[in-house]
Amino acid sequence: MAESPISTHDPKNDSQGPVQPSPQQQKQMEQNYAQMKRKMAMQEIGRKIKHKIMVLSGKGGVGKSTVSTGLALSLAQQGHKVGILDIDITGPNIPKMMGLDNHRLHVEEGRIHPAKGHLGVKVISMAFLLDDADTPVVWRGPIKLGAIQQFIGDVEWGDLDYLIIDFPPGTSDEPLTVSQSLPNIDGMVIVTTPQAVALLDSRKSITFAESLKVPVIGVIENMSGYTLNGVTTANSPVEIAGPGGKTVKSTSDENGNFSVVLDIFKQGGGKSTAEDFGVPFLGALPFDPGFVRGGDDGVHKIVSDPEGASSIAFTKIVEAVQEQISDKAPSTLEII
Amino acid sequence: MAEIMPTLIRIERRQSDFHLTYDNQQEYTITYHDLRHACPCANCAPLRNEDETSLTLRSQVESYKEHKPSVNPVGNYALNFIWQNGCSNGIFRFERIWDLANRRDPDNGKQYVHGAW
Repeated sequence: MAESPISTHDPKNDSQGPVQPSPQQQKQMEQNYAQMKRKMAMQEIGRKIKHKIMVLSGKGGVGKSTVSTGLALSLAQQGHKVGILDIDITGPNIPKMMGLDNHRLHVEEGRIHPAKGHLGVKVISMAFLLDDADTPVVWRGPIKLGAIQQFIGDVEWGDLDYLIIDFPPGTSDEPLTVSQSLPNIDGMVIVTTPQAVALLDSRKSITFAESLKVPVIGVIENMSGYTLNGVTTANSPVEIAGPGGKTVKSTSDENGNFSVVLDIFKQGGGKSTAEDFGVPFLGALPFDPGFVRGGDDGVHKIVSDPEGASSIAFTKIVEAVQEQISDKAPSTLEII
Repeated sequence: MAEIMPTLIRIERRQSDFHLTYDNQQEYTITYHDLRHACPCANCAPLRNEDETSLTLRSQVESYKEHKPSVNPVGNYALNFIWQNGCSNGIFRFERIWDLANRRDPDNGKQYVHGAW
């Protein structure tokens, strides 16, 4: 009879007792256990956070982090409990924008406690773990993946109404890892500027979202137009030489005040991209140098000027986001 | 003038097709094979760029046993269909479903270009 290829273990013949795992096997088991615990923690976090919103852009420099902090602060102003997860591992800058420069994270019983910024918004970022702001993080994919999973699974977020997840530009590992690790993500907000290059990359982001099976909540057009205010003679016509040789006309009011919007880049590109792809357009944010100053000073424009045009624009965008992720939205459709 | 798309108000999953009702009371059918062949995901869409691979995709979806899929709303702009076998990745915007209901090419003859990878 041929010998069975399956070995059997008979405890009666076992003179040496149970086999001890090798140190390597022990380490592997410990790693597997830690991974399993983290996965369970991620599932639990997924349940405790009501809404999870990813903020992406195809191109860098379109104001994605500004939009992320703006959304978070605007939601916090409405009284919601909000957190921001800064997944931009190699270029984290949310802490600076939230006035949390040089903040250190508090770790208790193996759980990381997020920092608290303006309006009580909780923040987790790689920036908190860097000894020096000038030190670059040079990590390959698998290490980044581990760090992201740690940022999700090992952080004590508590109960949150919204978690805003800010990503580095492009369509790389980070959104893929987050979408596979964090359950029930509401969707992606895609930030763009009206310039053709940014719009082209935004289209990639929309396709990317579909590949990940993450709904696109909508497109936000940032740096949409610069509002120029001035004073001249009352009730008189005003002509401003705008970009691209375009003349912008207006008329001053009875006090001589006038206001014109200059399209620094182009106009309406975000809206037409959204329409092309059949995804919602959430709104346009004005080109506001106050965002730059606020970001550098660590006081976002929404905090320093809550009644200003930019804050109002953010409020409208937040309303559009909430409308999209509302549980009521698809109820009109009967599926049998 | 741009076409105004009515709102999809009812989907009935039948043995081999969907029966759709829109808010203008018009009714349409889309076979499961047609819908699956028009999957917009990044795996299936490039296969429709060439006639030969498109036919392969078609015979592949036709080889699956027909059954009623699960239908999940995606945000308030699309639907995702979960099948027991084959691809369930596609997020079908209502515009795409409307095109399929009207027997139109939902890609409008455009080649799919991998933008994401």
